[in-house]
Amino acid sequence: MHRVAFTKADTAKFISHLDLMRTFQRSFLRADIAIKHTEGFNPHAFVSIPLPLSVGFSSSCEVLECQVLDTPLDEVPARLNAALPAGITVQRCYEAARPVKELSYVNYIVTMEYEAGAPFGAESAIRELLARDTLVMEKRSKKAKSGKVEVDLIPLIRQATVEERRDTITLDLILRAQNPGLNPELVVAAIRQHCPDAAPDFVSFHRRSVLDEGLQIWE
Amino acid sequence: MNRTLEHILPRVQKPARYTGGEYNAVVKDRRSVDVRYALCFPDTYEIGMSNLGMRILYGVMNEMDGVWCERVFAPWLDMEEEMRREGIPLYGLESGDSIADFDLIGFSLGYEMAYSNVLNMLDLAGLPLRSEERYGLAPIVVAGGTCAYNPEPLAPFVDLFVLGEGEEVSQDIIHLYRKARDEYWNKEEFLVAAAQIPGVYVPSLYQVSYKGDGTLESVTPTEGAPAVVTKRIVQDFDHSYFPVKTIVPSTEIVHDRVMLELFRGCIRGCRFCQAGYAYRPVRARDPEILIQQGIEACKDSGYQEMTMSSLSTSDYRPLEHLCDGLLEWCEPNKVSLSLPSLRADNFSLGLMERVQHVRKSGLTFAPEAGTQRLRDAINKNVTEEDLLRSCRTAFSGGWSSVKLYFMLGLPTETDEDVLGIADLAEKVYQTWKEVTPNPKRGVIITVSTAWFVPKPHTAFQWEPQISMEEYLRRVKLLREHMKGRSIKYNWHDSQTSFLEAVFARGDRKVAQVIEYAWRHGAKFDAWSEGFDFDRWMEAFRACGVDPTFYANRTRDKDEVFPWDVTSVGVSRSFLWREREQAYKAVITPDCRAKCSGCGANQFCPGGKCDA
Repeated sequence: MHRVAFTKADTAKFISHLDLMRTFQRSFLRADIAIKHTEGFNPHAFVSIPLPLSVGFSSSCEVLECQVLDTPLDEVPARLNAALPAGITVQRCYEAARPVKELSYVNYIVTMEYEAGAPFGAESAIRELLARDTLVMEKRSKKAKSGKVEVDLIPLIRQATVEERRDTITLDLILRAQNPGLNPELVVAAIRQHCPDAAPDFVSFHRRSVLDEGLQIWE
Repeated sequence: MNRTLEHILPRVQKPARYTGGEYNAVVKDRRSVDVRYALCFPDTYEIGMSNLGMRILYGVMNEMDGVWCERVFAPWLDMEEEMRREGIPLYGLESGDSIADFDLIGFSLGYEMAYSNVLNMLDLAGLPLRSEERYGLAPIVVAGGTCAYNPEPLAPFVDLFVLGEGEEVSQDIIHLYRKARDEYWNKEEFLVAAAQIPGVYVPSLYQVSYKGDGTLESVTPTEGAPAVVTKRIVQDFDHSYFPVKTIVPSTEIVHDRVMLELFRGCIRGCRFCQAGYAYRPVRARDPEILIQQGIEACKDSGYQEMTMSSLSTSDYRPLEHLCDGLLEWCEPNKVSLSLPSLRADNFSLGLMERVQHVRKSGLTFAPEAGTQRLRDAINKNVTEEDLLRSCRTAFSGGWSSVKLYFMLGLPTETDEDVLGIADLAEKVYQTWKEVTPNPKRGVIITVSTAWFVPKPHTAFQWEPQISMEEYLRRVKLLREHMKGRSIKYNWHDSQTSFLEAVFARGDRKVAQVIEYAWRHGAKFDAWSEGFDFDRWMEAFRACGVDPTFYANRTRDKDEVFPWDVTSVGVSRSFLWREREQAYKAVITPDCRAKCSGCGANQFCPGGKCDA
């Protein structure tokens, strides 16, 4: 199995997970890079993105898995980049060494913008909120009958730093990646709910790195 | 990306349709271009990006030096709300720049129900709706496409209409625009000169007067504009532009595949069909060129599906050769080929079997009418035997679903014809029972009826649309006679078909109704989310315009029609003759069997058309 490391930014932020997989399948064909197909009645190029990114998030650490058949791996990035839409850039293609299950944490940079400047006390209110022993939020769930499920955020937050600038507050979060993972949107929802004065006008989310249990870069 | 845009996109559905940046989208340096063209499609991204005409014109204009053509689609309701709230004007997807600052804004008009969206898009661009209220040379608002063959309902809003195929005339217009700008012409001077370009209709140069009964008295050209504007066609179809390198959307669209255009025009002459008359004469593309274009387009796009586009695929003479050539490449490359618009004959079925050997999807036939008499009247040269024979072959080969398309309200239709639809569906069912190898699996026969809309430039342009009550009565009659669980009956919504009939043959008086309805919220009328019939009826009342005058009136033979100022090259006397043949239920042979003298050979070198 091979992995393709890529970044997703600018207009490409708004390409959804399913559309992104389709985009890659076509890009491999455009780049004339043969990859392994699924078996079965309707074979198609096999690609998989282990950690889907929410629509609208940018990322500098996306990973796609596939099986490159006969193209030298070091040629893959340049050839794919010529075939990809704007905003998606492949950096590396390498043999997968570590299993996906060792991908434990994700580092997100959440930028909360305030048109009238960050409100007084917002930074410390957020810090206190994230320092609580428990922080239970309701989350939509497809599995639960009620369509909702309660999650305690605190055990899923490995690290959180809060930094205020003139009109932004930046959260540097290290969150559980999977089983279960925590979406930083839920952290912002908690801020809106518990610290209404600190509710931002606009939030952008950036995935900076994916980490293993020891907070080392996973690749 | 614009910051405000970035702020609103996370709040709307399917944001990828508003960002641009797709593979093959053309981005030019603003400093290297002197003409900016906004190619607008008055429906969603998914629909507009599926339109081959848009892709052709986009490619043609972007190949021109100094011209940057960008795409613009109608933002969906949620996006429009955000744009209006945040003060974001309608922008070109490639640059993000407001189209109000462009040189030309061109609309593709494929469907009457998109008219309200044309006004809405002009308004979203921050432009006055009416041509007379837009003073400067730029932007010039252009409209073309099938609906431009009756331009009058949009006449006050559009500066110039383009009739026919746009590949060449769009370039002519851009050249003239450049000259006008370089020589400081005003808008009126430009429009007067533009009216001299063949295929260009400038509505403001025509004075319209009406009789006491509301019909047209006369349409008088001024400033030397031609009395009749004849459509443009591409004569050398082999060498005309085809978008081998074309945009691959990053989000799913309706027709998400490579489209090959086999030929333009149609030899059949179905009397209700506007496309069949308006796109004459037939011009086919060489199969070797098509094979090459198909392969290259797949390689360039990464699409794994290819389809063929034309009005009647079976009538492409070298079809088998083309399929062989494409399959030779497609099969090893795992690209699937689909063949829409085939006639119900054995040859076609054999071909489909070969082409679609993986999935046996449904078969679709369009007999259009339920009895042979009525099929003869509309010149739909399909017999019951043809249809049943095809079904027999298909069912015995294991197919288990078939769709049958009909129209209700065709001229001369009686209850017997309506019930003939149910009979035909029953016969198809019996055929399945007789020949199917797996009776346990069952069969699904889907019968769909649309409400016939008489269109300009057809043999039925004089005909009334039957009343809504009568249409609904016929639907009910048919529904009551459609028996059996294997037969599913769908009928088309009556309200949009009625409005379509009004707009299709409307005059300039209809324009104020469209404007009124738009001011009261009309948009996305082709979508249930946007359409409100009562709003339109209120608009007709408020403007004192009777919609039944346009939809349900029988016209006199010599009535002056709003679309008489446009010509598709088919003579009015030919159409009238066809109408008379319809009433006698006499068929006209297809163009290959015998030339019927329609007049479209005027476009062919030497007057000889290659049907």
